[in-house]
Amino acid sequence: MASTANVESTQARPWLSRFRKPEALTGYFLISPAVFLMLVLLAYPFVLAVWISLTDRVLGEPGKFIWLGNFLKLLQDSLFLQTVWNSFVYTISTVFLKMLLGVILALLLNQDIPCRNLVRGLILMPWIVPTSLSVLTWLWMFDSLFSVVNYILLGAGLISKKVPWLGDPLWAMVSVIIVNTWRGLPFFAVSFLAGLMTIPRELYEAAEVDGALRFRQFWHITLPLLQPVIAVVVLFSTIWTFADFQIVYILTHGGPINATQIFATMAYDVALVAGRIGEGSAISLFLFPALLVVIILMLKYLRRE
Amino acid sequence: MGQRKTRSGETGRNLSRRKFLGVTAGATAALSFGTFIRSGQGAASLKILTWSNTLNAMDDTLREQAKQYTKEKGVDVAFEFINQTDLPTKTAAAVESGAGPDIITTWSDGAHLHDKALIDVSDIAESLGKQLKGWTNIGQDIGLVGKVWKAVPWGIIPICVTYRTDWCKEVGYEKFPDTYDDLLVMSKKLKDKGHPVGFALGRAIGDGNQSHYPIFWAFGGMEAKKDGKTVAINSPETAKAVDWRRRLFKEAETEDVLSWDDSSNNRAFLAEAVSVTGNAASIYWAEKKNAPQLREVTNHALWPQGPAGRFGYSTAMGLGIFRFSKSQKEAKEFITWLMQPKQYSAWIGVGEGQIAGLANFYEDDPVWKKDPKLEVIRQIPKYVRMPGYPAPPSRPAAEAMVKYVLVNMFARACKGMSTAETIKIAENELKEIYAKA
Repeated sequence: MASTANVESTQARPWLSRFRKPEALTGYFLISPAVFLMLVLLAYPFVLAVWISLTDRVLGEPGKFIWLGNFLKLLQDSLFLQTVWNSFVYTISTVFLKMLLGVILALLLNQDIPCRNLVRGLILMPWIVPTSLSVLTWLWMFDSLFSVVNYILLGAGLISKKVPWLGDPLWAMVSVIIVNTWRGLPFFAVSFLAGLMTIPRELYEAAEVDGALRFRQFWHITLPLLQPVIAVVVLFSTIWTFADFQIVYILTHGGPINATQIFATMAYDVALVAGRIGEGSAISLFLFPALLVVIILMLKYLRRE
Repeated sequence: MGQRKTRSGETGRNLSRRKFLGVTAGATAALSFGTFIRSGQGAASLKILTWSNTLNAMDDTLREQAKQYTKEKGVDVAFEFINQTDLPTKTAAAVESGAGPDIITTWSDGAHLHDKALIDVSDIAESLGKQLKGWTNIGQDIGLVGKVWKAVPWGIIPICVTYRTDWCKEVGYEKFPDTYDDLLVMSKKLKDKGHPVGFALGRAIGDGNQSHYPIFWAFGGMEAKKDGKTVAINSPETAKAVDWRRRLFKEAETEDVLSWDDSSNNRAFLAEAVSVTGNAASIYWAEKKNAPQLREVTNHALWPQGPAGRFGYSTAMGLGIFRFSKSQKEAKEFITWLMQPKQYSAWIGVGEGQIAGLANFYEDDPVWKKDPKLEVIRQIPKYVRMPGYPAPPSRPAAEAMVKYVLVNMFARACKGMSTAETIKIAENELKEIYAKA
């Protein structure tokens, strides 16, 4: 009762008066380091990047404000258009594969299998190992001369000549998709597994009593109840994959013939190597408005759920 | 028990939390102030950011020389060695933040890209030029921005042809071919014998570009005219270079080259999977330790001649001084000292062909007499040009290089695209890039 009265009295006064309460002041004081860190480490670099993307700045020179000039120029840049296409192919394929395989893996891990906890722990390995190190191993596995993958496939008689993993435009895209899927799959599987474990057992028992088969149980119980988790994981993964750098940079540097050039690798080349930081920032921020809309819609959907 | 007493007992009263914080803050402030005062008044110090040489021994020599300089002149000198691919990022960070090393290694066209952040070093570049019998063309290309020296030419990583003498002899070539037409004939014979040749066509920022600009120029191709503005790649000369490259790929290489990065050709050569490749002396060096039997049958050759002459493209480095440096005078003195024959010869001597000088004086350095197989490397600097040639190095030329416009033009042809079509794509890409200038 006392707390209700307190809330009512606070609401009755002008909002500034809240600051007079010592506990409110302490509250603001306590969150101020976090706010400060957010401002310095997130807001400032972001606002700066937006500002730079609206200028024709090159390294070491101030540059002029050119409104959306960089973005409009990029739309006429053939290499950039190819980069946009590559980024979408890369992101959509990897997120779809990770989602599909993630659900399957989570369902398997949710069964009573021997050494279940050990297997669950091992599944996380690709996610735990530093990306640059694991991708270097993949680079060796796809090496044009010494590819162990080719060696095994040839030995097993599955292929008759070496697959040019990183040398052919199509295979190079396949290679980076494979590695990204391998790397991101544990995050999907473990998140889905956590979601699966929260689904009440009674629902399945009731379905069994009604005579529903496993697939119908999955379709009508598991999937709908897993949907919020899938939505969040897919959202995060989409953002991360659009911003991915390490896998492509280490495996292909965006090649061959720009076949795997994506936003981050192109932004790196243009901004840091060629020194056009205005244009480079525009490349990395190009998808920001679209992603922002997706994020808002997804979050709204999640709140409704 | 004793511990508890200390916490809540006498010590607790004498040193309250507030007092403790006060004392700590005071001490930190005093220490910082001391450091601040020292940094303003104390002995000068120099920081030099440079690449980490594939040959550690060369970096060790520089470290030793820095120590020696500190001892002799009382100026603290410290080299920071970083991966070559991180150099652009670190340089960009220093230029943008206005803080960082005093001396920077300008990588290829670095002095042109960052000229506003670098001070005029014409005084020392000119006096060193006089002392060391003048600068080579490539030395001037990388150091001179307009008429002002923005970097002192430091050295070049000479890229030449590395080949297997025994296999070339097997197909009837005692000497390495001197023209691209002859090279094509020999390469086909080599592949027929099971020894393909290989020039990187993947995203090998070094070997890919450094193997293909020389071919392109030798046939008379140019990205832009001498004015550095008019794109001129769409020409019969370029078409000849593309046709030649396609034939080499089809007749004498394996598909692997399309995925090669900078280290692939070294590995392939050492694994005896290729007979001819474009590389620095690093293969020859690696053989010294790991495959002495291969060293016997490995040699170097200049890039062949084409209708327009003989060309090369190798990464050349300069030493520039940042405008924000507080020790500009000391930096100039150190660079002058580092370029003196005593220090410089010791450095390139350890490299045995890994680095060549950019001053004419160093063409006669004792290092070139150590091994007859280094003779070719000695000659390389005089044929080297920078991307953008015949125009001076520029931001568009640098951008075209990092975007692999030229390498991709050749790679598309090798993958089956028509000559006219692949040149047209390269032309459009160059027009987009040069339009920004």
